[in-house]
Amino acid sequence: MLTGSKTTFKVRQMLPDIKERMLSQTGLNARSRDVFGLRCLPGECVLQRAVMVRKKLTAREGRGWLSGTLFCTHFRVAFVPQDSPKPDDNADPVLLGDHDVALASIEKVVVVGPNRTKLVTPSSSLKFTPEELVLYCRDMRVICFLFDRLTPDAQVIEITYTIAKTAKSGSVLSFQNAALGSVEMKQFLSNRHRDTHMNWFESASDWEQELERCGAMSWRVSSVNDRFEMSTSLSRFIVVPQKVLDTELKKSFAHFNEGRIPRWCWRHPRGSDLLRMASFQNNIYHEKDDIRCEHVGCFLLDAGACFRHLSEMTQTWSDAFSLFRLADISTSVSVPDDKWLSTLENTHWLDYTRSCLRKASEVACLLRGGHLTVALQEAEDRDMSCVVSSLVQVMCDPHCRTQLGFQGLVQKEWVMAGHRFCSRINYRRDNDKEEAPVFQLFLDCVWQLWSQYPSRFQLTDEFLLALHDSIQLPLFSTFLANSQRERCKRSQNLGQTYTPVNGWRDVLHPDSSDPSDPPLPPVWDWSLQYSKPTQDRFTQPVAPTPPLQPLLNGNLNTNPDTHRLADTIPGSVFLLSRGTFSCPANLLPWRSGSSGVYKKSHRRALSSENVPGLERLLKAWALTDFPQALTSTSGPQGPLDPYEPLLPLLMGPCMGLWRECYLRGALHAQAFSHPVSANHPHPVERLAQEVQQLKDKLAQVSSSTDPTTPTATAEPRRTDTNLNQNTNNGTFLFPSSRPQGSGAPRAAAPPTSTNHQTSRGPPPASAPPSRPAHKDTGGSNKHTFLFGHSSGTEARPEQRYYPAPNSAKLPKSNGPSLAS
Amino acid sequence: MEKSGSVDSLGSKRSSSRQPSVDSLSRLSSTSTSTSRSDRSGQAKPPSAMSSDSVSTSAEFSPELRVKPKASAKVIRESDKEEPQLLPNETVQDMAQDITYFCPFTGALRGTVTITNYRLFFKCMDREPTFVLDLPLGVVSRVEKIGSASSRGDVSYGLVCKDMRNLRFAHKQLEDTLRKSIFEVLMKFAFPVSNGLQIFAFEYGQVFPENGWKVYDAVSEYKRQGIPNESWRITKVNDHYELCDTYPSTLAVPVNIPDEELKRVAAFRAKGRIPVLSWIHPESQATVTRCSQPMVGVNGKRSKEDEKYLQAIMDANAQSHKLFIFDARPSVNAAANKMKGGGYESEDAYQNAELVFLDIHNIHVMRESLRKLKDVVYPNIEDSHWLSNLESTHWLEHIKLILAGALRIADKVESGKTSVVVHCSDGWDRTAQLTSLSMLMLDSYYRTIRGFEVLLEKEWLSFGHRFQLRIGHGDKNHTDADRSPVFIQFIDCVWQLTRQFPAAFEFNEYFLVTILDHLYSCLFGTFLCNSEQQRLKEEIPKRTVSLWSYINSQLEEFTNPLYVNYSNHVLFPVVSLRHLELWVGYYIRWNPRMRPQEPVHQRHKELLAKRAELQKRVDELQREVTNRSASSSSERAGSPTRSITPVQTFV
Repeated sequence: MLTGSKTTFKVRQMLPDIKERMLSQTGLNARSRDVFGLRCLPGECVLQRAVMVRKKLTAREGRGWLSGTLFCTHFRVAFVPQDSPKPDDNADPVLLGDHDVALASIEKVVVVGPNRTKLVTPSSSLKFTPEELVLYCRDMRVICFLFDRLTPDAQVIEITYTIAKTAKSGSVLSFQNAALGSVEMKQFLSNRHRDTHMNWFESASDWEQELERCGAMSWRVSSVNDRFEMSTSLSRFIVVPQKVLDTELKKSFAHFNEGRIPRWCWRHPRGSDLLRMASFQNNIYHEKDDIRCEHVGCFLLDAGACFRHLSEMTQTWSDAFSLFRLADISTSVSVPDDKWLSTLENTHWLDYTRSCLRKASEVACLLRGGHLTVALQEAEDRDMSCVVSSLVQVMCDPHCRTQLGFQGLVQKEWVMAGHRFCSRINYRRDNDKEEAPVFQLFLDCVWQLWSQYPSRFQLTDEFLLALHDSIQLPLFSTFLANSQRERCKRSQNLGQTYTPVNGWRDVLHPDSSDPSDPPLPPVWDWSLQYSKPTQDRFTQPVAPTPPLQPLLNGNLNTNPDTHRLADTIPGSVFLLSRGTFSCPANLLPWRSGSSGVYKKSHRRALSSENVPGLERLLKAWALTDFPQALTSTSGPQGPLDPYEPLLPLLMGPCMGLWRECYLRGALHAQAFSHPVSANHPHPVERLAQEVQQLKDKLAQVSSSTDPTTPTATAEPRRTDTNLNQNTNNGTFLFPSSRPQGSGAPRAAAPPTSTNHQTSRGPPPASAPPSRPAHKDTGGSNKHTFLFGHSSGTEARPEQRYYPAPNSAKLPKSNGPSLAS
Repeated sequence: MEKSGSVDSLGSKRSSSRQPSVDSLSRLSSTSTSTSRSDRSGQAKPPSAMSSDSVSTSAEFSPELRVKPKASAKVIRESDKEEPQLLPNETVQDMAQDITYFCPFTGALRGTVTITNYRLFFKCMDREPTFVLDLPLGVVSRVEKIGSASSRGDVSYGLVCKDMRNLRFAHKQLEDTLRKSIFEVLMKFAFPVSNGLQIFAFEYGQVFPENGWKVYDAVSEYKRQGIPNESWRITKVNDHYELCDTYPSTLAVPVNIPDEELKRVAAFRAKGRIPVLSWIHPESQATVTRCSQPMVGVNGKRSKEDEKYLQAIMDANAQSHKLFIFDARPSVNAAANKMKGGGYESEDAYQNAELVFLDIHNIHVMRESLRKLKDVVYPNIEDSHWLSNLESTHWLEHIKLILAGALRIADKVESGKTSVVVHCSDGWDRTAQLTSLSMLMLDSYYRTIRGFEVLLEKEWLSFGHRFQLRIGHGDKNHTDADRSPVFIQFIDCVWQLTRQFPAAFEFNEYFLVTILDHLYSCLFGTFLCNSEQQRLKEEIPKRTVSLWSYINSQLEEFTNPLYVNYSNHVLFPVVSLRHLELWVGYYIRWNPRMRPQEPVHQRHKELLAKRAELQKRVDELQREVTNRSASSSSERAGSPTRSITPVQTFV
């Protein structure tokens, strides 16, 4: 796989030793992948290197500068800080280090000279020696490197060229090959186990698990689309009403655009179901082919109607996009600071976020009413439906606010539902018309919710940010296909790496695979991208406590009484199409004229009593009036129903700008940068670490004192332990001593160190023979956070989400048990 | 900020540390809570608290209301009276029923109004829970009678408040023409100064465990900074306010300038406000000094003494051979001041000095900007044009300019090791903003609660920021051109800093909001009068209670749980508009829909409590372990068991 890379490799410009080293890389010595302190991926080779470079740190990283060495490989621009710890050769390869950026996500390379700024393209020539190298990334990061006077000019110029050339000329495939193409990497990837704690929605049992979790009894999993014959864009398994037989089902596909029939997505605990469907194929009117949606009341909410048009939205995004970009360049085109707010407003980005959230809130409130069904209908059912349906679930379902639950949600509503990730992200830069930041819009909406209800989320904004950044990395099977069918086609010859054994797999399209393609991991394999400390920050340090009382925000009349419509007429069908009510007979157009019974019930449902109920609901959204009834009905009601929707405040001042994402590295703003508080982790994090440390200590101390607490037994115990001591060179006095010994350097270490916890990993040299208690303390070093995730836990995420911390008595063992 | 509210704790207000019933508190008050924090229901509020329950919107939006069991709430409700809980020496002046309050958020409410010498108290019993509006009269800026000739014979009054809200009331035309409307009574007590009455702070008799007037002592604060030293001395030349009546009695000046020369310098500086030391860098000895503009005039007058004086300031810092003079004004305004005899230092006359204009506008521009901001945020917010409307007020732009100026000063002192002189025209508005903000950036002491109190006492109160004129305590002349939100702007800047450095400040947002609320309330004497001299003359410390007495008596309320004492860390905030935000928790707090959704502070507090609990437990166990090991290992000296180290704490 290195032959491909040779073509772009300029041997004569390399320093001889690098060249030598590179050759050794290609040769036998692949085990040691350490080149000048840079830990290379298998098969990765360094194209260029520059020493004495300083990287500008963002506010999040603590500001200031970090000096080290800059590398450019076929895959990434890597930066290794001067005093970074020696990489561990036996550790699993990590695609990107904390300071690295993948070439594929670099949008623009700009150099700053003594008195000029220049955009570097593969064909441009530099007439000055740059002092500063600025990389503008597609994920809106701006990374700034400063060259020292001592950096050799040749190195500076060459690395600039190399970065510009490799970033621009590399194809997606060559990029993938550079990262994952080596034999070792393929081997490594195929041995990865995927996280079984999240629901991948790939098999029928996955869907059944979800049905069970939601308590949706009247639905079943149908494998009618197992070979993608009914619908090419749907997943292999779909959830349909229990009563509908597959034979009946098969006939209904023709009535819907792309065969995307109404399918179940989620069930609210109050008995409401959320469905998704594409628009009707209106040329076919046939009586017997409906899937009997009328068994439940059915609201059709046209998700597409609340947005002017998708293409229009794309425009908006690119406006917003360029705005942030321009803001970052200190050139003449940048938006003046005093016009920032109105310029931001003119992008309408926040308006779009708001309308998504508003639409989702409406649906959430309808579902909360209970016993009705909301079906989201969109022409293709592959963009806005994804946004709205997943937002509804984030609002209503606490499980979807955990990291694993959220990942499952994305699998269910985006990956399996056939969101055109590949086209919308436009990795290959060949179809600008289709490009649209739909998924980014969704992430922004989730961020808005998160910022208003931080403690109701187990995941953090860091997780959202990591997901946001991963989109621009064309390495993940999650994003590199437009439908599950494409994914299956690609992966089916790669063995059962990431897919369960399935009989159909092997006979499916045996000819379509390109054997040279590297296997693509799913984005959820975070260890490939992020170090453990970074991943620890994906979840809240302390489990959110469920609020004891409903938090009402006055936006919306959430009083259940006002829209308990379906309770009265369970069989009624409502149609809300394109924002307005219309005759429910239109729900299933091919039914018109027949089945008078149904029609009658539809008519009745339209009674003036019910429809205004919904209108009231929508009116309340206009924030014209306070819900009067709130005061009386929403008094103390005991503990809050966890499924109570999180309704966001949507007033102008409440819609925030995701600065941590969009304004990363607005360089000009930091006119005076000084290392203020470099490498201080977030205070909450430190607090959580400290609580964890205390708990650990407590566990250690108590494990020794607990048995000896009764004074009567203390005496014999002590002799016992002293005996024990003697075997351990007499260094320690009793069983807890080893943990104490390790506790001392721990306490002495600055509490600011981020990888503090991990540094405890190796036991001290004088470690006594391992005892169960020791093992526990050793095990706990994985758990930086109090109630954080641990891969070893068997508990369901929900259980971790609402622990009863007060009931925990002196925990004796490791992190997971602390959570219970 | 809670108003103490509730009637039933009436009898118990002798000591501030008492715990008013939680239920009563959360029922009547809390809710509104103005501040962005919604988590404070369960704590004791000293009765002195404040105002602003304001649109307390009946609690329907206050989460904490639902915490308590219904039963207990009921008990309270029955014992309810229509009167507010009165403060010591607060007396009811008038009471009227059937008053309509037009709440812009909930609609018209009918209830009872009580006027005391301190507050307006409106209560509507029709609502469930009871709607309460509790407004210190000091907040009222103007009362206007609207449309008295209403068809139904209603008389309507509008109250324009200084804290970003307007209230409207109406009552029936009084049949008894001799009887005064309750709002006439209100006007009398809302503007005591104009009506020959006493401001309530002089009557308020609450006793707090701590005496806030002792928070600041000029000499010990200079001592903390290392003054006097070889270059700076403390002079008593202004002991009787003869040199400058708007300056404090204790001043720090260069050692080699005798008092006699100070008087000649004073003659050349507007209002005699000579350059004096505000802050000195503990290592580089670079200083921040403040003064007023030089009286240059159109003829370009010079003063040998003043030039020598600035040279002495520069020489006091051996690290640099330059002096920066920061003129807060836009250069045009500074030049225009020459017509009035003022002006700025010419670089010809002051060798080695570099003059920088910071482009901060005057008090009139700021007043207008805040008025526009009020129009944009109260009562209704236009969502679709929110950002451009906000931009058109220029409020954030002004904030940015002030922060940018302070940042430049801090940068010159910290990074350039250069002394700076800061002035504007009189040196008591923009100068106070700039020096205090740069000191906040430079010195972590001022980021503690007590340090911040010292900062306010020093840079604002003792150096004569004219609070009485800028706020207009008890004065009905609401059009007074001397009124300006200079101090609010400063607190806003501090809030912006706390947003960018959430762990660098010991105090929380509630602390800042409380300061602003009591800036208007006239409950405490802290912000009365214009200068130290006046305060002494009025015997303010003897006759009134200090706001710091109240605050320091319940510090836990105002403590930021995330505080990390980054000592010796200098804060350099990002001052781009892209990173500044509107202080929603203050300016839009009356809008119940803006209430934060989550008691985040509560969680942080819980985390702290948890840590304290665990720490205690660890300590106990370790003590036990140590004791036992000591008894068992007495013969083994130097055994490593002693290596038990308490877990480090950082908050």
